[in-house]
Amino acid sequence: MSSNEDQIMEKEETGNTKKPGYSAKDYKSPLKPIWCPGCGDFAVLNALQQSFAKLRLPRHKVAVISGIGCSSRIPGYLSTYGFNSLHGRAIPLAIGVKLANPDNTVVVAGGDGDLFSIGAGHMPHVARKNINLTVLAMDNRIYGLTKGQMSPTTPLDTYTSTTAYGSYDPPVNMVKYVLAYGAGFVARAFSGNLPLLTSLIMQGIEYKGFAFIQVLSPCVTYRGKAEYDSIRENSEVLPDTYDPTDHKSACEIGDIEDKQYLGLIYRNDNLIPYEDRIIEMRKHAQKGKVIPVGELINLYRT
Amino acid sequence: MGYEFIEGNEAIARGAMRAGCDFFASYPITPASSILHYMNDFVPEAGGLVIQAEDEIASLGFCIAAAMAGRKVLTSTSGPGMSLYSENIGLAIMGETPLVIVNIQRQGPATGSATKGAEGDIQFTRWVTSGGLPIIALSPATVEEAYELTFIAFNFAEKYRTPLFLLTSKDLGVTKDSANLDLVKLPPRFDRKKLPPGQKEYLPHYFEKPEDVPLISDFGGDYIARYTTSMHDKAGYLTANPAVIQEMIDHLTAKIESAIDDITLVKEDFQEGADTLVVSYGVISRSAAVAIEEARAKGRKISSLVLQTLWPVPEKAIRDAMKGIKKVVVPEMNMGQYLIEIEKLAPPDAKVIGVCKMNTTLVTPGEIIEKGGLL
Ligand SMILES: Cc1ncc(C[n+]2csc(CCOP(=O)(O)OP(=O)(O)O)c2C)c(N)n1
Ligand code: SF4
Ligand SMILES: [Mg+2]
Repeated sequence: MSSNEDQIMEKEETGNTKKPGYSAKDYKSPLKPIWCPGCGDFAVLNALQQSFAKLRLPRHKVAVISGIGCSSRIPGYLSTYGFNSLHGRAIPLAIGVKLANPDNTVVVAGGDGDLFSIGAGHMPHVARKNINLTVLAMDNRIYGLTKGQMSPTTPLDTYTSTTAYGSYDPPVNMVKYVLAYGAGFVARAFSGNLPLLTSLIMQGIEYKGFAFIQVLSPCVTYRGKAEYDSIRENSEVLPDTYDPTDHKSACEIGDIEDKQYLGLIYRNDNLIPYEDRIIEMRKHAQKGKVIPVGELINLYRT
Repeated sequence: MGYEFIEGNEAIARGAMRAGCDFFASYPITPASSILHYMNDFVPEAGGLVIQAEDEIASLGFCIAAAMAGRKVLTSTSGPGMSLYSENIGLAIMGETPLVIVNIQRQGPATGSATKGAEGDIQFTRWVTSGGLPIIALSPATVEEAYELTFIAFNFAEKYRTPLFLLTSKDLGVTKDSANLDLVKLPPRFDRKKLPPGQKEYLPHYFEKPEDVPLISDFGGDYIARYTTSMHDKAGYLTANPAVIQEMIDHLTAKIESAIDDITLVKEDFQEGADTLVVSYGVISRSAAVAIEEARAKGRKISSLVLQTLWPVPEKAIRDAMKGIKKVVVPEMNMGQYLIEIEKLAPPDAKVIGVCKMNTTLVTPGEIIEKGGLL
């Protein structure tokens, strides 16, 4: 389908009782994934396609931006706009796409290494700026593409191709990291739980602001098939009674490392996305007025 | 050990160990990662340190500082990582830091045809950082040479207090070949010249003649030292004085350029009466050797010059080889990056032909014969 057809569909949607939607397969590209059989990344691809379809997002309104890694191959398998960029640089590119055209739904997908090692320097800034993106950190706790080196989330004392004597770098805690920098939407999902993963991606896309989702997505080749079982054993879906709007509870959940809680960990709907702030700022600039940020925020709130 | 079946990257790691390397930091990238894997085995055993950094900016940063603190340091990467090394390489040149940087080239730009071979970083290496000051780069053609030139690269780095580049490609780095490293003749090991104890002061960039290499004193050693990324005087203090700045630039340039005879490593195979010369380097010199052999077998007279030193350009060796030559053939796995250096030096009546490609496959002997008109 061309983006022209997407536009036709949009028109039909607004003017008609009949509501043509998309099915997940409309978001498939002609490329066949070359991930290893059993790789967790298949589920992320599947969940993304389902989320786009359920949210009825026209493909020309969606851009999926990645870095380099097995996980970062994902834009190639989608029929939306895509940019398979440089190792660690998905976030700056995604920011460019979003700010140039805030109408776009922008999703960042990348590996644990891509987003938390080489690209980690961008994370604090995109979180604190609150740019309206959805980041999927596809965490397999290893460097898949480059053949099994230690990653920033590899557990302590693991033998990998670069830790002949066991790893001694304590792993990064992604959830705590992004909470610390002010992310307004923080979740943890698992490739082995597709409905939850899809639901969290949909919530993340709909959230107006920076949405971060850690996806435990096993690398069966360099961490073994047992990774699925060990995640199942060591994880638990957050109970319905859990209140994700409470920052303190979210931090407590983040602190727990022997159990990986899955679900929406934190959500703050009182933050203003960056692009809304700059659009407002621009209106004033065009009128030749300078408006203090405090006042701007109040303007937005009213 | 006798004959072994090993890849170029292992030979590089072992060459470094032989040179006394005791600090290695790197960030994984194919086709250089196996150096990191080997060093992970070798260095801790020898009592040294290996670090997998969070990215290339960090890995070269670790290396520069460790070298200044007295370690013998190696790092390895490939194209995208070299791009991230760029700024820190400037720092290493500025600080006159001895260390060895290995680039296992892969086809580019950017992620290129990850991870297939090419030698597209030849001019990039020469101009790798801002400022345009000269650097030294060596390029091996075989597994044995990978071992030998890594050892020599350490010697040159130590002797000239400068970052040293070892350039090869995926095709040598991760291809196994039979080699006997015991048979490789190595020069004596050279370690950096240190300022002896008991001196009044340590001037970290002291020279009398511009080409002098300053004595060094390690961080944590007998003398307090300071380094800066900014233009500085001999004491390492920041300066804005144009005369002092020019003097330092002249020093950093002369130190490398005046070393040319010492650092020129070439392999000459000249034929009496030849009017054709093949100039080659790296793995493609092996294709060239086969092509030359074939042409000679058919009665053609052809000379060969294989460059192991790429930067600074071994001008004298190239000019000597081109005496009486009417045709120079330059095969390369890029679009003619060294060709332009040869063109500058060729006699006016000589024709210079590049046999260039960068489609991830090796330049074959057949292509050299055909495009170079060797028959
Ligand atoms: C500047 C740079 N350095 C290194 C690399 C090599 N590289 C490619 S992907 C990767 C890491 C892959 O791990 P991760 O980001 O966790 O993704 P995964 O493959 O595990 O999904 C590395 C080191 C590169 N492409 N660019
Ligand atoms: S190497 Fe690991 S992460 Fe990469 S495709 Fe295979 S299973 Fe997935
Ligand atoms: Mg990973």
